[in-house]
Amino acid sequence: MSEYILEIKNVSKFFHGLVAINNLSMKVKKGQIYGIIGPNGAGKTTLFNCITGIYTPEEGQILWKGKEIKGTTPYKIAELGILRTFQTIRLFAEMSVAENIMSGRHIKSKQKWYNGIIHTPAYFKDEKENWLKVGELMEFFSLSEYATTPAGDLSYGIQRRIEMARALAAEPELLILDEPAAGLNENETIELTKMIRKIQAMGVTIMMIEHDMEMVMSLSEYITVINFGAKISAGIPSFVQDDPVVIEAYIGSDEEDDHA
Amino acid sequence: MMNKTSMIAIALLIFMGFYPLFVDSAWLAVGTTFLVFSVVAFSQDIILGRAGVFHMGHAMFFGLGAYTTAILNVQFGWPILATWAPSVLVPMFFAFILAGPIIHLRGDYLLVATIGFNIIFIQILENDIFGLTGGPNGIFGIDIVRVFGIEFASGTYMYYMAFILLGIALFIMRNLDRSKFGRAMFYINKDEIAAQSMGISIRYYKLYAFVVGAGIAGAAGSMFSVQYSAVSPEAFNVTQSIMFFTIVLVGGSASLPGVLIGTFIMFVLPEVFREFATARYLVFGLAMILTMILRPRGIWPVRFGNIPSYLKKDVK
Ligand SMILES: Nc1ncnc2c1ncn2[C@@H]1O[C@H](COP(=O)(O)OP(=O)(O)O)[C@@H](O)[C@H]1O
Ligand SMILES: [Mg+2]
Repeated sequence: MSEYILEIKNVSKFFHGLVAINNLSMKVKKGQIYGIIGPNGAGKTTLFNCITGIYTPEEGQILWKGKEIKGTTPYKIAELGILRTFQTIRLFAEMSVAENIMSGRHIKSKQKWYNGIIHTPAYFKDEKENWLKVGELMEFFSLSEYATTPAGDLSYGIQRRIEMARALAAEPELLILDEPAAGLNENETIELTKMIRKIQAMGVTIMMIEHDMEMVMSLSEYITVINFGAKISAGIPSFVQDDPVVIEAYIGSDEEDDHA
Repeated sequence: MMNKTSMIAIALLIFMGFYPLFVDSAWLAVGTTFLVFSVVAFSQDIILGRAGVFHMGHAMFFGLGAYTTAILNVQFGWPILATWAPSVLVPMFFAFILAGPIIHLRGDYLLVATIGFNIIFIQILENDIFGLTGGPNGIFGIDIVRVFGIEFASGTYMYYMAFILLGIALFIMRNLDRSKFGRAMFYINKDEIAAQSMGISIRYYKLYAFVVGAGIAGAAGSMFSVQYSAVSPEAFNVTQSIMFFTIVLVGGSASLPGVLIGTFIMFVLPEVFREFATARYLVFGLAMILTMILRPRGIWPVRFGNIPSYLKKDVK
């Protein structure tokens, strides 16, 4: 197996004939933090949707540990160990924080089909293990005090933490973060940066779309810049930062983001 | 420590347990049917309230259970006890093969498809297609439950059998809610994209809800056929399906007390106001409209956050 855990090869995705991703390629190494930047509407979220199976790209290959995963349904992608957060937060708003995070334990739970009707000793053991794991994650993300609070009642910054905790609960190999700092204040962003480093230290590979340049430049080992669906630059942060093509793309676009 | 809800539940349990001692046979029958309909409503709630599937053909599964018992008993001479397992398994089987091809449909399309199934089911019953269903008149002369020569003939026996069935249904609902399966249904209901992204197969859990819901409805159907010692098509038509659907939404989706309240309002109240003849349905329709406007999540909405106490230690 190659040193790359995820390889995207010449991927294109069209919407009604319009190109959203244009012949895009990138390779993500195991254990690294990989940044993706680009102006709004560049196709970054669409790329993540292609990796996680929400969309199937018309062209190209997506290789996970060398195996083609293009066209695989989202729940199977998650079972493979690729978990994500959403740019537009998608929590189960009426459900409590603990229940939200518990959804991440779904693929790790070993309950049998009949445990939905009848509980067995193995069920009780499994159930307890999973809830304890949820407890650990609530500690890690400082969410314990909100355990029973409906997720939808909490502030934006807290909701972003819940989404990360939920994805991490599934013990992913690859964690995909779509604008994790969007809507966060300065302190929250600093906390988030520390959190992401800790997650990397656990051995999780991270792919991240982020508009907060300071954060993405400090965290990422490698960055790909996308504009109009195509790669315009790629490299280590210091290179990308000074690349005239990148500066041009950002000046030429509306730099204010609506965080839609 | 006991909260208000558990106290109400225990008071209700005691009342329901002693109910046959205070009432005449007509009201006893109303009580029994209330229990049976509650079980059907809970099974509808698994599909509609939990998995969030707009299923408006549930009377079909209720009817499949009832007709399974009726046919096996009257046409083939099986004792009622022996028909119980088939009356659960037959609806489960049909739920699996019928829901399979429509489960991916969007809410409104699926709703129309399930109504279609219900209509076809009634047509089959009325046309006596296999010479087994007795046509529009249905099947008469269904036996009583006999165990080792003991005859469970009286209305009081019937009531307590339905009472036990409701207990079993509640036990299953509680187990479901505290399992990976019940939770998966809620996640799908609240956000399909997020649920899938967490590794949950939408199709598997919606089908699971259908199959379990159909089995429970079938058990209730078997009980219903024995209570009236007869079955006929109109007890299982789309109007009945609409009633079960409405019970869940009026009472409160995925809420155990809500579904009981819904069954009470939609079934028992009309019985109480029987002397007002059809005018009582006016009140009934108004109640449905007003609930949806004033309490869109139902009279007793579901409350989430039932997590193990050892996770609540830090809650402020
Ligand atoms: N489901 C969709 N249908 C049609 N067009 C879409 C869809 N999703 C994204 N697009 C389009 O694809 C382009 C890229 O969008 P997106 O990936 O969200 O950009 P980014 O995340 O980089 O801001 C945009 O022009 C957007 O309008
Ligand atoms: Mg985006």
